[in-house]
Amino acid sequence: METFLAILTVFTQPELLALVGIGTFAGIYIGAIPGLSVTMAVSILISFTFSWDVYPAISLMVGIYMGGVYGGSRTAILLNIPGAPSAIATAMDGYPMAQRGEAGQAIGVTTVMSFFGGLIGILVLALAAPFVSEFALTFQPRDYMLLAVLGILLVGSLSSGSMVKGIFAGALGIAIGAVGRDPLTFTERFTFDFQIMEGGISFIAVMIGMFGVSEALIQLQNVGMKAVRQKIDKIVPSFSTIKTYLPLSLQTSTIGVIIGALPGTGGDIAALMAYDHAKRVTKNPKIPFGKGAMEGLVAPETANNAAVGGAFIPMMTLGIPGDAVTAIMIGALFIHGLNPGPMLMIDQPDMFWFIIGALFTANIFMLIFGLTGIKIFTKIVEMPRSVIIPLILLLSIVGAYAVNNSITDVYWMLGFGVFGYFMRHYGYPLGPVILGVILSRLLDDNWRRAIISEREDLGRFFHGVFTSPLSCVLFVAVILIFVSQTPLWTAIKKRVFAKTS
Amino acid sequence: MDPEFRGDIDHHDGTSDATPGGYREKRRPGELAFALFLTLASLFLLYSAYGISGFEALSAPGAIPMATTLVMAVSAGIVALRTARLQRVTTETLSKDILPVTVIVFIGFLIVFGLALQPLGFVLTAALFLIVAIKVLAKRGWGYTLAVSLGSLVVIWIVFRVVFTVLLPAGILPEAEFIQFFRTLISKGAF
Repeated sequence: METFLAILTVFTQPELLALVGIGTFAGIYIGAIPGLSVTMAVSILISFTFSWDVYPAISLMVGIYMGGVYGGSRTAILLNIPGAPSAIATAMDGYPMAQRGEAGQAIGVTTVMSFFGGLIGILVLALAAPFVSEFALTFQPRDYMLLAVLGILLVGSLSSGSMVKGIFAGALGIAIGAVGRDPLTFTERFTFDFQIMEGGISFIAVMIGMFGVSEALIQLQNVGMKAVRQKIDKIVPSFSTIKTYLPLSLQTSTIGVIIGALPGTGGDIAALMAYDHAKRVTKNPKIPFGKGAMEGLVAPETANNAAVGGAFIPMMTLGIPGDAVTAIMIGALFIHGLNPGPMLMIDQPDMFWFIIGALFTANIFMLIFGLTGIKIFTKIVEMPRSVIIPLILLLSIVGAYAVNNSITDVYWMLGFGVFGYFMRHYGYPLGPVILGVILSRLLDDNWRRAIISEREDLGRFFHGVFTSPLSCVLFVAVILIFVSQTPLWTAIKKRVFAKTS
Repeated sequence: MDPEFRGDIDHHDGTSDATPGGYREKRRPGELAFALFLTLASLFLLYSAYGISGFEALSAPGAIPMATTLVMAVSAGIVALRTARLQRVTTETLSKDILPVTVIVFIGFLIVFGLALQPLGFVLTAALFLIVAIKVLAKRGWGYTLAVSLGSLVVIWIVFRVVFTVLLPAGILPEAEFIQFFRTLISKGAF
């Protein structure tokens, strides 16, 4: 009964309901403006909700997240520019549909399928998270450490681009997180005897710099790009269309939830895998894949929204984020004094169920806003970049300043903005950096706890790893990801293939 | 399914968050220098991490920093080696595609913004920044520039200062009085 009441908190307080609505609306439109991403929106907005109570802040953020994952599909369909990493696969068939003049239908189906996928994700989250968190209580410090390493490695290896660059980015993030006085021994780390570095680098500054400033700087090169006006009509899809694709969407939602639930993998990978799955199971598509097949739109869109619920599972129960956006969400929870992990479910079950309620509400808002307001939408998307870019830069500065009222944070943010700008240009993924910063403390603490409990003996540590099934699986996974990148692996693969052929 | 799929074919510059820059088979202008910089910086950080507690104990405060900076140095080194072996992109130049004048100018604007924020206060600094930035980017008349920049500043100020109650440096303008004015206006409207 209490659980039920906690879920309903959102509905009983009009203020919270409105905030979820505003957040979803903002998320959809921010995600839909080319060049603005969900990651950017969430990272800038976190700092503004700093002084708020927990509930309103979470309501707004959940709305933006849910709306943004969906909103990214719009620019993918209309302009062939995915608004979020999770919409990469959507562009493959969505854009050809828009070119044929079926943009309205594409958006309509995308909306309904996103809603459907989102719903399944939330259901699984509500059912699975309590069990996972109970299981997580038996985790040893070394398991947490291995999970953190695994998460960072997965983000680095699966996001597009080279894996070595991903590993570098993840390690950089952990190093940034270690700056300042060590919380256990008070030793200075990477402070170079500067007093301002003793408190560490605010992860909000890193985040806003990497996702806000660097992106705005990149967009400066596209200032002259004209917004393309697309004709959009008949957006609400017919019931029979939805019924046709329901079986497929059920399969791809499952893929979405599972991929989302793995630490380190989020909506982008879920969407690509679902697209791949749809290609395999659809024997005779009406229109071939890549040319505007409806299946190619349904699959990634259900999967990426289902992955939202999935990604919340490791985030809420283990404190390990699935991708860059969930990493930022964890940061937001930290700021508001919550500590995501197995204890969250025990200490504050209400908070968990409240988030479920907020996600559910955001999903409904997404359906409503997605199927209406297409006129306002075309207006907003046409906003000139020459105005948007200065505004983003302004908001980034305000955001970085607001958290600690310190000008130092603004300079950190600018520094990381310029650094991130070059990283983007040269194909270094930024997601692992943020994941590293967020997980740095967890990794460090748990490593030290683990090795101290084994009396500083590496032999005993590895004995512990190999005698516990969970640690063993995690350890092998970490090693496998590493080995798959070395020349050794290619050599083995060659030999094996040579033998079979 | 091509994980390297990009919406933008001509400019591999990460047009959106989803499409990271860089080519797989070629190196962009300045890419090797950046990779070498990262390698050297990582080696310096490794040295600095060694300075924290050396090889004192596995649980020492310097253990994880040393491990991570070692990973950084090794991976940056591999990236540098791989980049060095690639051919340069012939169609791109540093000043056109990587660091155009506009970007340098804007980085300068941002530094000035940071310097002026506390002495001048948020409202004045932001107004100046928006006017100059929009004028430079939009290349339209003063009427448009002033209307758009000041109009959006008013909205931002109301949203963040009054609704979100974010503390911003007041500087030389009597901001507190303004806010009080708004608060009375809102509370009068509510009753």
